[in-house]
Amino acid sequence: MKQSKDPFEAALEEQEESPPDSPVGEDELNSQTPNEAQNQTDGGQNILVDDDDDDYDDLGPTIKNPSHPSSSSTPKLHSTSVNASVAAAVTNKNKEYDDDEEEENVDVELSKFPSSADPTKMAKMQAILSQFTEDQMSRYESFRRSALQKSNMRRLLVSITGSQKISLPMTIVVCGIAKMFVGELVEKARMVMTERKESGPIRPCHIREAYRRLKLEGKVPKRSVQRLFR
Amino acid sequence: MSNPSAGASSKSKLGSSQPSETSFKRKRGVFQKDLQHMMYGFGDDPNPLPETVALVEDIVVEYVTDLAHKAQDIGSRRGKLSVEDFLYLIRKDLPKLNRCTELLSMQEELKQARKAFEVDEEKLGTLE
Repeated sequence: MKQSKDPFEAALEEQEESPPDSPVGEDELNSQTPNEAQNQTDGGQNILVDDDDDDYDDLGPTIKNPSHPSSSSTPKLHSTSVNASVAAAVTNKNKEYDDDEEEENVDVELSKFPSSADPTKMAKMQAILSQFTEDQMSRYESFRRSALQKSNMRRLLVSITGSQKISLPMTIVVCGIAKMFVGELVEKARMVMTERKESGPIRPCHIREAYRRLKLEGKVPKRSVQRLFR
Repeated sequence: MSNPSAGASSKSKLGSSQPSETSFKRKRGVFQKDLQHMMYGFGDDPNPLPETVALVEDIVVEYVTDLAHKAQDIGSRRGKLSVEDFLYLIRKDLPKLNRCTELLSMQEELKQARKAFEVDEEKLGTLE
């Protein structure tokens, strides 16, 4: 069942259902095999499009790994293999990373997802994605594929609420919310860095400043009143 | 805030947890690996600083905690906690709300697809 022997994949196997933004099977998988034939005529970089992410970053398509005919047998298999192979790539060092990335990008395929995707948007996305540098593509891939583990999140929620009845949709939703929150934090931290004219990796002071600003904007839920008289 | 020790002890496998605001007994790097990739995807260095990752993890855990507590407050009126409560909490934040509805509908589709697939497999099994 496991197509890669990466230990990371074992952790990912818990993400049986679609991780928040992985280009997991969904409906495309069923329509994937007929599309494969058409898609290979596109050549170059092909992107698997689905109705994901139409809002947050205004991005349409997702990148999908080469689908070996064997892996299209189960959505689950495919998603774990896809995630695993990308995750394996992502966990390698950056220099080796680029090699893996290139291989994956070359084989990535395109299939028009018929649902809520806007054809003009998709065309725009393809145009943009085809012009990505390696660096940008790897970052984009990281962005799409990274996710908080549902099992860890579930454990956290159980310990917070004290109730064992945490449904799967709830876990998925909270993972998604948390991921977007991380995005806001990191982006704001980058803004803070440019204001201070600093460069390099983000430091905790930037994150703290970003967090403070988010609090001022009201995007962070405030604790209930008890903290008044501290 | 008192947390049920049963839940907390399942997290404190290593003794390396430092006291955080929420006084959780939990492993330090619960989300560390994932967070590193995520931060890279969102614009950080390919190798974010470990202290930055730890801080972000703390902030995220606090965020989720506060969110869950608020959701529980809302949900307790209805009887039990449900997804709707979380959706209500982020109603003002449009990108998050849209993303969550997308995720939920995707999950539904996946479920349907899997069901359909399993039915097919059964059929194949019985045919052969």
